[in-house]
Amino acid sequence: MKSIPKLIRRFVLLLLLSIFLFLVLNIGFLIFYTVGHSTNGGPWTTAQEAAESMEETESGYVMSAAMQAELESENIWAVYIDNSTLKAVWRSDNLPDTAPLAYTASEVSSLTRGYINDCPTFTGTGEDGLMILGYPQKSYWKHMYASWDYQMIESAPRVAVTVLAANIIPVLLIYIGANAGLLRSVRPIVEGIRKLPEGEPVRLKEKGILSELAFHLNKTSEMLQSQKYQLRKKDAARANWIAGVSHDIRTPLSMVMGYAAQLEDSEYLREEDRKKASAIVHQSRRIKNLINDLNLASKMEYNMQPVIREEINAVALVRQIAVDFINMDVEGRYPVEWETDEELNICRISADKELIKRAVSNLIQNSMNHNEDGCTIYVAVSVSQPCCPAEKSAAAGEQAERIKEYCVISVEDDGAGASEEEIEKLNHAPHYMVCDTNTREQRHGLGLLIVKQIAESHGGKIEIGKGRYGGFGVKIILPLASNDRRL
Amino acid sequence: MLSDYIKKKRILLVDDEPELLDMVVSILEEAGYVNIRTAQSVAEALKAADEFDPDLAILDVMLPDGDGFGLMEKLKEKGDYPMLFLTARGEEEDMFRGFGLGADDYMVKPFLPKELLFRVAAILRRSYKEEDPLVKLSGCEIDLERAEVIRGGERIPLTAKEFALLSALYRNAGRIVTIDALCEAAWGDNPYGYENSLMAHIRRIREKIEDNPSRPVSLVTVKGLGYKLILARQARK
Repeated sequence: MKSIPKLIRRFVLLLLLSIFLFLVLNIGFLIFYTVGHSTNGGPWTTAQEAAESMEETESGYVMSAAMQAELESENIWAVYIDNSTLKAVWRSDNLPDTAPLAYTASEVSSLTRGYINDCPTFTGTGEDGLMILGYPQKSYWKHMYASWDYQMIESAPRVAVTVLAANIIPVLLIYIGANAGLLRSVRPIVEGIRKLPEGEPVRLKEKGILSELAFHLNKTSEMLQSQKYQLRKKDAARANWIAGVSHDIRTPLSMVMGYAAQLEDSEYLREEDRKKASAIVHQSRRIKNLINDLNLASKMEYNMQPVIREEINAVALVRQIAVDFINMDVEGRYPVEWETDEELNICRISADKELIKRAVSNLIQNSMNHNEDGCTIYVAVSVSQPCCPAEKSAAAGEQAERIKEYCVISVEDDGAGASEEEIEKLNHAPHYMVCDTNTREQRHGLGLLIVKQIAESHGGKIEIGKGRYGGFGVKIILPLASNDRRL
Repeated sequence: MLSDYIKKKRILLVDDEPELLDMVVSILEEAGYVNIRTAQSVAEALKAADEFDPDLAILDVMLPDGDGFGLMEKLKEKGDYPMLFLTARGEEEDMFRGFGLGADDYMVKPFLPKELLFRVAAILRRSYKEEDPLVKLSGCEIDLERAEVIRGGERIPLTAKEFALLSALYRNAGRIVTIDALCEAAWGDNPYGYENSLMAHIRRIREKIEDNPSRPVSLVTVKGLGYKLILARQARK
């Protein structure tokens, strides 16, 4: 929108420049034309030259042959009168009969300004006489009574400029007026185009000079809106479908899990049969986790999971999760080590409690799933410090320093771990749920995808790598509540 | 580990799937519960509630003639007893709706029998105090009713904070209770910055209940995480 006045300014400048150019061109052309019609210096000059070419000989006055030839070629007649007698002392051969041979002072004055028998006359002063040249009729137009007020001539430049301005200003006003009209009809269209990528519906009035443009813009917006609606509908349908399927699986799976768990504890079964029941329970739990993960992952992916943020204490939350796992792990196969600094009891983050709980639980569950023979799980919450001294000194004041701090929740184990290559893949390859190509290769668990989605929905990120104890390790990095910034 | 008093509580079970009802009944019966009645619809459940006068209701959300939320509201009008949702509806909004209506717990299928039993027992213990409210520890007994420690015939009174902490620990006996949960139990909704006070209170409780307060056996520390109250039976086990 800001570019429009700039555009108008540019056009006005262009207009001024073209007016100026026109003026220069016109004046130039005028000068060229006038000069082109007076190549021989004009009739007054010719008359003067003719007067000067007169020579007094014994047999009277004689004109030079060259001059005579020139006059004849242009059909000009000439007469030379003596200063003292005012009578012709020389005449050209083509002098018409009607031209007088003697003049009075008033006649001389009259012919100097005007005509003799409609022939425009011009005079030049010789040594002792006056040369009168008579040009053919209609060869020149003479202004007989030319005289101007001196003041008018004096103020001519000023008048010229004023007239010029008086001409340019109305042109400019007309132009700006027309432009303002255009601008008025352009503004809603520009506004409409700005709205398009923001996904807002655009509905312009289809009238005025740009009605066609408005019409097409409306059409485009309609199409985009309908596409957006279709896309949302499709996403919602997909998420609902997944939610429906996982819902329908829950009740039958309850039965599998419930009866298998009862058999697992049955006194009447042989040890090996109880083990089989135990395996069914274990696998049912995996299916249960998978259903939960699938459901949440699809909802997060299609933006259908509300993120209800409140200020929570990450230390308390993660401590509760760790304790829940310890309390559940009756056999003690997966001991949880709490590695948080004892001084750190509060780490405030602005987050959805249930989602963060889900993310951390997923990481612990992940360690358990990948280490069937048991492993120790190390859980810690920390506040990350500024990464290097240079940055610390560059940051002016405590405020700037705090910006570099994040809440880091880490879950590590001393189990099987993963190879560098696998870690690289986990960190960078897209999951099959969010990837539109090559779905065969990326088949790592949904658990980590959810953790990533949750961290990102809170403006954070995750780092997957090797644990300090040899196994697998994942860090969830979230902004602190006091300086909620995206990573 | 359930007392006969708890085992005799009447439990109403509502679910539209007869097979699931059979299974849950078998789980509860195996755990020792003896008074169980089932219903497969809202109508049946309302009728059963009138005749059976339950002490606890376990409800499904999706029923053929209505939903569990509506059923719960109707049951609450008839009598004030704890209710638990056991449903395939795992959405947070459903869970919040259930708790909003006054549910005591909300479990999402599939579930492990142990999980269900633990929650049922916890609700029943919380809602129906046993006649003998004495908590037996290795070296003493705690009378939660009168907030006193009984030790060698002597009765030692507990302060309000000590009582709040011991109650919270007893409700989760044998399980770790986090520092934060204990602070919340003693100091309420904004329990930050009380970690040192908590340690002081724990020390004083130990002086009252432990034979050797510096080597506790009933109220044990789980470093960095929280504390655990070990009952005499568990201690012996």
